[in-house]
Amino acid sequence: MANPPTEDAIVIQDVVKNFRKRTIRGEYTTFKSELVRWLRGNRAPKQNRFIESLRGVNLRIPKGQTVAILGRNGSGKSTLLKLITGIYAPTSGSITVNGRISALLDLGAGFHPDFSGRENILINGIILGMSRAEVRAKMDDIIAFSELGEFIDEPVRTYSSGMYMRLAFSVATHVDPDILIIDEILAVGDEHFSKKSMAKMTEFKRLGKTIVLVTHDMSTVERWCDQAAWLDGGRIRRMGTPAEISAEYRKAVSLAEARSTVFTPPALTEGGGALPGLPEGAPVTDAPPPVPQVAVSRVWLTGPRGEELGTIAPETRAEVCIDYVAREAVEDVEFVLTLASADGPVLYATSTRTDRVPLPTPLPPQGRLRFVLPRVGLLGGAYVLSVELKTGNNANPEAGREARCTFSVSTEHDDRGVFRPEHAWVVEEAPAAPVQAVSVPKHAAAS
Amino acid sequence: MIRNFRELYSYRGLLLSLVQRELKARYRGSVLGFFWTFLNPTLHMLVYTLLFSVFMKNQISNYAYFLFVGLLPWTWFSTSISAGASSISDRRDLMTKVRFPAQVLPATVVATNFCNFLFSLPLMVVLGLFFGVLPSWHVVAFPVVVLVQMCFTFAVVYAVSAFNVTFRDLQHIVMNLMMLWFFLTPVLYKLSTIPEDYRRVLQVVNPMSILITSYQAMFYEHRLPDVVPLMSLLGVSLCLLWGATQIFESRREDFAESI
Repeated sequence: MANPPTEDAIVIQDVVKNFRKRTIRGEYTTFKSELVRWLRGNRAPKQNRFIESLRGVNLRIPKGQTVAILGRNGSGKSTLLKLITGIYAPTSGSITVNGRISALLDLGAGFHPDFSGRENILINGIILGMSRAEVRAKMDDIIAFSELGEFIDEPVRTYSSGMYMRLAFSVATHVDPDILIIDEILAVGDEHFSKKSMAKMTEFKRLGKTIVLVTHDMSTVERWCDQAAWLDGGRIRRMGTPAEISAEYRKAVSLAEARSTVFTPPALTEGGGALPGLPEGAPVTDAPPPVPQVAVSRVWLTGPRGEELGTIAPETRAEVCIDYVAREAVEDVEFVLTLASADGPVLYATSTRTDRVPLPTPLPPQGRLRFVLPRVGLLGGAYVLSVELKTGNNANPEAGREARCTFSVSTEHDDRGVFRPEHAWVVEEAPAAPVQAVSVPKHAAAS
Repeated sequence: MIRNFRELYSYRGLLLSLVQRELKARYRGSVLGFFWTFLNPTLHMLVYTLLFSVFMKNQISNYAYFLFVGLLPWTWFSTSISAGASSISDRRDLMTKVRFPAQVLPATVVATNFCNFLFSLPLMVVLGLFFGVLPSWHVVAFPVVVLVQMCFTFAVVYAVSAFNVTFRDLQHIVMNLMMLWFFLTPVLYKLSTIPEDYRRVLQVVNPMSILITSYQAMFYEHRLPDVVPLMSLLGVSLCLLWGATQIFESRREDFAESI
């Protein structure tokens, strides 16, 4: 095994992992099944087939980076994490890990229900790789972080599931590893605690720790990670920036859905059951994306005075600025603007074609579009603005590229719903004549 | 084998914590708590004494004490084996979710039962005093006998726990074999009561009979244990231990997948 360069925390080379396929009837080899098989005269199990989970993974994870691993269910993400952690051994290939590794694959490993939180911290901490002295030294920190207070000396079986997870998470994050492996467990506890755990993760990042993360939550990936790797059909399909990868992943999934591809377990499918390649041809791993002829280079939100904003109040004026670059003369371009809340649902979508915006033909090599909103009119929360470029003729292969920006609306109103219409309340002494009363003042409810 | 034990040594903190926890957990929630460590062998002893010195009269003097001397190390051995068999296959949570040195689990079982054995020794001495049997200087051989038993127990537990991961019937087979083994071992009776012809065979085939008679020699008969069988058993145990760790090491990569 060649010495890897020191800047890589994890080097995975040609890793293949096969699992022996168990017989259908029984999970385990039993004496009876062995006997029956032997009596029938076939010594070897009939279907000595293997489940091919990973079919040759190459991945380098540089030190100090946060890398997300994406992929559909059963694409081998967890297997890969277990291989990195050393729980499984690869069938072939090699994995080199430089540094102390801590895996948050499951919280509360080895917790004993009859023991108090304090006793379980000790044993769990040691199982996760700390020494006894280390756990004792960090005990108070861990207890403080878990916010269990008096409950720490109660048996763990009396804990609510939230308390249990909080305790387990607190121990796991205090291991102080060089490399942290996380499998879908960032959302622990209530909003307050998940904020705290996010802050802990940010601290990890700041300290230059390497984090490998498996999640299905694309917003986490885009917000958090420096790089994303897309595991598909047992191989790394692509590695790149989180925005690129998550966009492409989403598209491949929707394409598969559109083609009504049957989602079979990937590891059991011939050829790996990879998602279909995108129409422009599946990009080669690690190859730079082709330079598009026309692209949205940047989307951002500005406030009333033209300053760039990440947070905005619902009653102010705002503009969405869209910068584009056209490297060739393109005609018949359409900009599609979509506003969605951060958790997914689309709130509004329009396009230059829908609104019949006269765009210059051909497009100038560089330009900006401004989408002016006299008032934001949204409720408090996080939102995503995305702008997609479409061309009428299909001559432009990369025209589907989109750019996005996230922003949040902060407000002290606690109104609910989808949007905040312009409105005012009128209080009257006695009901006036019904028809006449509709004269609403133009003034919006100022904060 | 060296590597296996060196790794075990490097995880001694974990082993120690697990043993501590097992000791505490065993009787947690019970009213008498730790006293069960003494109560369990005492009750066993009382049952057997009732059976073999009241109902079926035998010629052994201080029978209760004689029985106790053999019963304690036997309990250490048999509970280690029967609990050790499923020690790996029962801990799916540890084997599949964290990187965990597998040999710590059977080692924990052996060590925990060893502690229980040590804790119940004072009871044996007290019982001896009650019958007027004073401990003699021959107990200096005790650590050696314990060491031999430790090696032998480790060897069996390693092999059984490793096989039990893929062949779960083993834990039930082992349980029943232990019963047979118990009656083939001179715990309830003296080795001398066995007909001459079978005695040799039993000593060669059953390592536990060598160990139990060694304990009886030290504590009951006030003489040093026979050196030749004990030392040859030590040699055999080390060979077995080597083989068992080989088996264990060759299978451990499959543990996480097979559980």
